[in-house]
Amino acid sequence: MRFWLYILFLGMTLVGYAKQDQEGTLPDAGEEPVEGLDSMYYLNDVVVTGTRTPKLLKDAPIQTRVITASDIEKADATNVEDLLQQEMPGVEFSYAMNQLKHMNLCGFGGQGILFMVDGDRLAGETMDDVDFTRLNMANVERIEIVKGAASALYGSHAGGGVINIITKEQTQPWTLNLNARLARYNERRFGGAFGTKGKQLHNMLNVNHTFIDNIHVHNAENPATQIVSTIYGDRTWNVKDRLTYKPTDQLTFVGRAGYFFREVVRTADTPERYRDFSAGVKGLWDITAHDQLEISYSFDQYDKSDFHKINRLDVRDYSNVQNAFRSLYNHYWSTGSVLSVGTDYMHDYLMNKNLGSKTASQSICDAFAQFDWLIDTHWEVVGALRYDYFSDSKSAHFTPKLTARYQPIDHLNLRLGYGMGFRSPALKEKYYNFDMVGIWIIQGNPNLKSEVSHNFNASADYTKGHYNFTLAAYYNNVHNKLTTGVPHYLPGDDKQLYLDYTNLEDYSIYGGEANVQARWDNGFSAKLSYAYTNERLPKDKEGHTINNQYIPARRHSLTARVDWDKQFTSNYGLRLSLNGRFLSAVKNVEFVDYYDISKGTSTIHYPAYTYWKLSVVQHFGKAFKVTTALDNLLNYKPKYHYFNSPLTDGINLMVGLSVDIDKLF
Amino acid sequence: MFDDIYDEPQEQVDIKEGQLYIDASSWTDWHYINLTATGNKVVKMSIPTEALPSPNGEGAEGLYTYWYDVFGEGLSKHEFRGFTPTASQPEPDEWHIAVHRNNVRTNGGAAYETPYTSMDDLPESSEAFADATFTEDVWNELDVWTIQAQMLQGLIGNQGIKVNPVLSSWLTVSLPPVPPVFTLNNHVFIIKFNDGTYGAIQLENYQSPTGVKCCLTINYKYPY
Repeated sequence: MRFWLYILFLGMTLVGYAKQDQEGTLPDAGEEPVEGLDSMYYLNDVVVTGTRTPKLLKDAPIQTRVITASDIEKADATNVEDLLQQEMPGVEFSYAMNQLKHMNLCGFGGQGILFMVDGDRLAGETMDDVDFTRLNMANVERIEIVKGAASALYGSHAGGGVINIITKEQTQPWTLNLNARLARYNERRFGGAFGTKGKQLHNMLNVNHTFIDNIHVHNAENPATQIVSTIYGDRTWNVKDRLTYKPTDQLTFVGRAGYFFREVVRTADTPERYRDFSAGVKGLWDITAHDQLEISYSFDQYDKSDFHKINRLDVRDYSNVQNAFRSLYNHYWSTGSVLSVGTDYMHDYLMNKNLGSKTASQSICDAFAQFDWLIDTHWEVVGALRYDYFSDSKSAHFTPKLTARYQPIDHLNLRLGYGMGFRSPALKEKYYNFDMVGIWIIQGNPNLKSEVSHNFNASADYTKGHYNFTLAAYYNNVHNKLTTGVPHYLPGDDKQLYLDYTNLEDYSIYGGEANVQARWDNGFSAKLSYAYTNERLPKDKEGHTINNQYIPARRHSLTARVDWDKQFTSNYGLRLSLNGRFLSAVKNVEFVDYYDISKGTSTIHYPAYTYWKLSVVQHFGKAFKVTTALDNLLNYKPKYHYFNSPLTDGINLMVGLSVDIDKLF
Repeated sequence: MFDDIYDEPQEQVDIKEGQLYIDASSWTDWHYINLTATGNKVVKMSIPTEALPSPNGEGAEGLYTYWYDVFGEGLSKHEFRGFTPTASQPEPDEWHIAVHRNNVRTNGGAAYETPYTSMDDLPESSEAFADATFTEDVWNELDVWTIQAQMLQGLIGNQGIKVNPVLSSWLTVSLPPVPPVFTLNNHVFIIKFNDGTYGAIQLENYQSPTGVKCCLTINYKYPY
């Protein structure tokens, strides 16, 4: 069956290729958007994540949700967690063990969602999620979110989708912005961005610093499960520089470097430190008007260490280093069709004091091809096939994808797609050996198989007048989910429990999303988004209900936003924004007693909640912006701070100032 | 890469004269220290945890299980949940003090906390503290944490035994938050032993080179 699927994809690609007898020119990713209905909803914006080629959002064959720079500014978000929770239904950030952040997006955990910055993967994980705090929102042009399996283009860890953060390009001769925000709990956020642009060189430097105290929160008596009494704050530094060199119209080189530091004081004498060092070089060559080649190298190192204050020692206990080389060739036809062929190589190194051998590494290489066939003005079909090889397990993986877009009338797009997703076992999952505070020893499993998912999706979007509508539905069938299984004793030892990484039985996730946006001429705009997620919890291969270490997705979630913009004079403008989210209750199966699993499991009920934010943004002249926000406007205080409760103990006043120094002159 | 940013902890602790280092991180052992004019001797003895069918001796020795409000009001809020009688705590023939994590006992002695934070600043002899009020060991069934198997549920099994509250204040453990906060009190303590001799003692560090808590570097002066 799988063989015939591959043949079908290959055949479709060849047929489409043979029909392209005319050649076209490269699309201009920097093309100015056309004013009108399309620009109102950013439909003329260029997106790249769905196909790895520039496509106008309104014509993208893969449904792509875009969070624009304007959305980010309105949300006043510090990092990607703040932003996604405000902007998207169906996404939730909760705590895993030891207050480590875990994301759930439409039923897929952070392990199944691939985060990228300008198309590059991120090193490092904690409880299988990337460090979301390093993804700050300074200098972000937009975020592209593609839900559903995208492994045919991006490989492992893209079973649930891709979130690609696109950074800004410098467009002015020079810019300098300084900004600050203060809030409760001694929260401070300072940022600076300095950009220059010459004839061939442009550069953007960003420096950001955040701080927030530990917050001690109150809980009622007799909680149903684990609660949080202290929300740990942190101190971060984030420095990024991006240099672009365009020696000719056909050649572009981009170099980047970054440093990230975060300190969390969970124990006063041993603060935990997290560092990331990143760098990269990318070359883009427009070989002809129809052919484009992209070659890049990316380095990312994510470290964890403990600072022993008394001994004045900073001791590293984790390091993940990724060196990746990528190449991508695109050929464009005048009909709009595109052939993409690429290959990648990545060396993945892991040092972890809890690995049996302390270090492990592997090489991953892949090759892929995609044909984006624009059949006529109504139909577009995209097929992709990818081959991945993993040196540690000496295993290979083929991944197909097929999507069709039909445009029966202007401004109406119907999409139907199938994609395979997969996640190869991480080195940690294969070789871990960790004594978890006397409860059990978490053991790696070298015999793990890849987790594979089959994603079927359908969507429709329509724009008319002041309104834009989107409807989407999906179904995922997941085989061999990678996680920890049922605790067990070894033969002859009934004292020490072991918890092994394992592959679980098949399970499914299905759901849908509805979104409506409106923009009126009087300055008002509104957006309402609803997501339904049904995550059927997996069992182990023997059919046992397992303890879910991550709380599953909430079935219903909704985000809403209303904005009012008014420029009163040339020197004074005002924007009022009200945004909020509603998340329904959710149940999870958990052990009654982690120390005595013979007591079985019970179903824990996590309550629904709603959370709102009101902000007032005042523009004074061209240079000054003052933001005043009331976060948690309804003063919601969880009775119990469970692992998926909002991190709050009440209303919070935030005041910010941003100055564009270059606009003062 | 970037190895230079980080430190490699040394395996051994550098012990100076008048100093001793004890890994007292075990929940289930007491470390008995016998001081002499020429040095010291440390003997490790386990806390009895095997249940007896009936109470031993005066009937108070054993393991006391308490629930602590670790995620709420902290250790000050606790409830008794059970008692398991065990054998008496074994002891060597000769010892002056014993340490178990952050707990300290004396062998029939008493302790006084001085305002000094350096051994070098102490008066010439213990006679300077002749009028001080020394505190003897007192019964305790809340602090000698022995069984951690159900700690995440706030349940801890403690040894019921006499400890010295003044000496034990050299290292305080407080909850919440979880994990607990360790606070070092670097004052010098004077101990009046049951044989009439005196000693001075100070906790200098409670971490091993690799960061393990309750690995004690102790300054001492004996006889004092």
